[in-house]
Parts: sequence; structure tokens; C-alpha cells
Amino acid sequence: MKSLYLIFQVYLAFAKKSFQRRMQYRVANLAGLTTNFFFLLVHVFVYTAFYAARTAPQPLDLDEIITYFVLCQVSFMLMPFWGTHSEVTSAIKDGSVALQLTKPVDFQTYWFADECGRACYYLLMRGLPTFLISILFFKVAIPQQLTVLTTFTVSMMLAIFMSNAITIAIFSSGFWTLDTTGISGMSYSIITLFSGMLVPIALWPEWLAHLARWLPFEGLIDIPFSIYLGKITGVEVWIAMGKQMGWTLFFVGLGRFLLTRGFSRLVIQGG
Amino acid sequence: MHHLSLYLHFVKLRIQSQMEYRLSFVFDVFAQASISVIDFFMIALLFNRFKELAGWSLWEVGFLYGMIGICFALAEMFGRGFDVFQRNIARGDFDRVLIRPLGTFFQVFSHEFLLRRFGRIAQALVVLLIANSQLIIPWSFAKVGYLLISLVSGTCFFIGLFVIGATSCFWTVQSIEIINIFTNGGVFMGSYPFSIYRWWFRHFFTFIVPLACVNYFPSLFLLGKVETLGISPVGAQLAPLAGFLFLGVTVLFWRWGVLHYQSTGF
Repeated sequence: MKSLYLIFQVYLAFAKKSFQRRMQYRVANLAGLTTNFFFLLVHVFVYTAFYAARTAPQPLDLDEIITYFVLCQVSFMLMPFWGTHSEVTSAIKDGSVALQLTKPVDFQTYWFADECGRACYYLLMRGLPTFLISILFFKVAIPQQLTVLTTFTVSMMLAIFMSNAITIAIFSSGFWTLDTTGISGMSYSIITLFSGMLVPIALWPEWLAHLARWLPFEGLIDIPFSIYLGKITGVEVWIAMGKQMGWTLFFVGLGRFLLTRGFSRLVIQGG
Repeated sequence: MHHLSLYLHFVKLRIQSQMEYRLSFVFDVFAQASISVIDFFMIALLFNRFKELAGWSLWEVGFLYGMIGICFALAEMFGRGFDVFQRNIARGDFDRVLIRPLGTFFQVFSHEFLLRRFGRIAQALVVLLIANSQLIIPWSFAKVGYLLISLVSGTCFFIGLFVIGATSCFWTVQSIEIINIFTNGGVFMGSYPFSIYRWWFRHFFTFIVPLACVNYFPSLFLLGKVETLGISPVGAQLAPLAGFLFLGVTVLFWRWGVLHYQSTGF
């Protein structure tokens, strides 16, 4: 038990370091915050205009849509496609990953811890301010029931874990391609689409929504935010969270497999 | 002439170096195209549900989208040097630029050429062509010329934004992420008719950052919507000039910024 605690301490330290490293860029964060808010504003303009012409009831009303996009901007930086900017990815590219591999830590867990630190940073320094500012400017729904709040919190945490697992699975491809901009762009388009970040899945035509339900990415955005809006209730909440958990385990496994393969053919870049 | 042949030589070198990571290159061309395919697909989904947006049909919006997409991708292709300029500042590489017997603007401009953006250009062009086939636009030589000038103007506009971002690095070292609002955000905003935005938002993006001038007003003119909105036709026809003007102003800003450069090198 003692040793398990010690191991945990090691990875916690990695996560903390990752958090602190990002704390240095305060001005950049402020700029990012402005960007998040700007995109939110344009989304609000666009949807307000779309809804203005339409009187038939929609699966989500305008206020719910606005809340949904506020939450999207809150978690935008937590999405998996930011992996190109991570230290680990650039370490793979420039070869300094060799140093990390000589350490007596599990590489995937280390990477996961690093991503957790990143997620905490963006949740606190980017997500929270975005949310607070949005409350001032828009009608943001806040769930009143304790059960909704707790299930949302759990689902959101699962979404973050899943995002980290996907990041590792995607960017371990750096061992093969070195330059990860291509794969990162590809994952960007697939994930922004099927997570429901561009248009909430509730507004999609039936056949496409059906496809999205079979893919993992709704677990990043659509599941937690639908729980938040009270669109998923009762037993369905558990099914949805079970999906998130299952896919997270799948991506952890995939990441482990790819990393093992990657190490076995690893040629260190640079000198 | 000397500059042109030098530029072409640099471009050749850049293309060769990008071909080094071939797998990633292929991925990226597809990725770029897929990002914009999906962007437009989402707009189409919304139109499928809501039918119209402030009196604009899907393919009229597609025309806006295609124009802005082409401009941005061209700007990324040619203006990449300014887009990634912060690297040069952070490493102190700009010192080397200063001692060479060529203008700084030209050197940074010719430093990068992002071939892989052709995927995105092609996709935006396809949307523009489909939109054109779905709409009835009475084309004439003058109108085709006007469209081409508008596209070049839009490209200049986005390159101008990259130049502002690069110039700010002389003070901040790190590139300011805020310029993304105008570049990526500009593409996003420019894909929708400006009439849906609030007046202060519209005016800012017409008179200060002239985004509306490079695709919204030209589209109004080409789609024959000018009269219905009570905007002066002459104004809409002259609007693309703003893109060139904008780039000119940013070049002046660049020159002034270079004077404030302090090396971060050793």
C-alpha cells in the first residue's frame, strides 16, 4: 500500500509540473480567453439568427444552445487534438524522449499525468473564467438538482480521462511520422464533428446522429453537456457514463499497444 | 526580377523540405481538406434543419464560405513565414535576417511556403463552384475579374493579419494568440452573412479590420443582393480595395516594429 502511494506521488509530481509549466504564459492565456469568448459570441449570433426564422419547436431551445456552446468553449482546450503542443510530442520529434525513457517510470502513465496537469490548468485558468464571463453576458442555465450536478461532474471527469487517453493513442503515431501536424489536423476534424462541438448532435438528422452514437467522441462533449442540460436522465445517464468508461479503457489499451510497438522500432532523432 | 527568381528558389527549397516528412504531408493535405469539408458539412446540416439564414440560402452562404476559404488558405500558403515568425524571434534567428543584404519583409515572406494548403484551397474552390452552379449569377468578364481581385484582396487581408501577429513578436517574443480571433475567427465569421451580427460587431469588421470588404460586400454584389440591402453599389464594388490597403498599413507597421527589435540570442 505504501509503495502504491509513493508511485502515485511520482505521477502527481509530473502532473503538477505540467500545470506549473503552463502557469508561466499568463498573457497568452488572456489572449486565449478572448479567443474563446469571441468564438462563443459568433456562435451565439449565428444560432440566434437561425432560430429567429424558425417557430417550430426544436430539440434544444435557443437558451439551451447558448449554454451548450458556453460549455463547449469551456472545454475546448481539453480536447485531444492539442497534443501537438504537448512537451511529450515534441520530445518524440526532437529525440529528447530518450531521456524520459531511461527513467524508471511507466511512459504512458507519465504522459497521462502530464495531460492531467494540462487539463487541470485549462479547466481552472481558461474554462472557469470563460464560464464566469459568459454568465454575465448570456442566459446560461445552471442545473438546480444535486443529482444532475454530481452526474455531470463525474461525466466531465470521464470526458477528460477519455480525452487524455485519446491524445496518447493519437500522438504516439509520432514514433512513426515524427511530424504530427497531419494526424493532429485529421483528428481535429473528426473529433470536432463527432463530439458534437460544431453542432449539437440533437440537431443532426437521424441517420448521422445514429452514427455518432456508435462512435466514442460524443463522450467528450455531447454526453456530459446533455447531462448538464437535463436531456439525459435516469438509467440513460448510467448507460452514457458506461460508454465513456468503456471507450476510455479502449483508448488506454490502444495507446499501450501503439507505444510498445513504437518503442520497439524507436530511432532517436537528433544527437 | 532578382527578387522573384530568389523567391522561386526559396519556394523550391521549402517544398523539398516538406516532402521529407512524406507520410505526414499526405495526412496533412487530407486533414486540411477534411477540416473544411466538415465545416461546410455542418453549415449544410444547419440549413437542412432551419432552411434559411437571414434571407440567405445554403448555396449563397456556400459562396461566402468558398471565397473566404480560398483567401485564407492562400494566405496561409504564402504568408506562412509571418505565421510562424515567433520561432525566429524566440531563437534569436532574426539577427541573421538583419545582416543579409535583402529587405526584412521579403526575407520573412520568402522564408516559408506551405504547399500542403492546396488541399484546403481545392476544397473551398469546389464549394465555390458548386455554389455557382446552384445559383444563377450573370457572369461577365468584368465580374470574373472582380471576383479574382476580391480573392487576391482577401489573401492580402489575411497575410496582413499574419504580419501584425509577427510584428507584435518584436515586443512580446511569444506570438499573440489573439490574432487567431481575426484569422481563424475571420474565416468562421466570414462564412455567414454579416447582417446577422450586431451593428458594433459589423462596423468593427468593416472599418477597422476590413473582413466584410473582402468577401461579404463582393458576394453581395456578385449575387445581386446589393439593392435589396440599401448599400451603395459603388461602395460594394470598391470594397475589395480595403484588403490591399490593409496589407499596406501592416507593412508600415512591420517596418516600425523592426526598429524596436531586441535580440533574444546569445
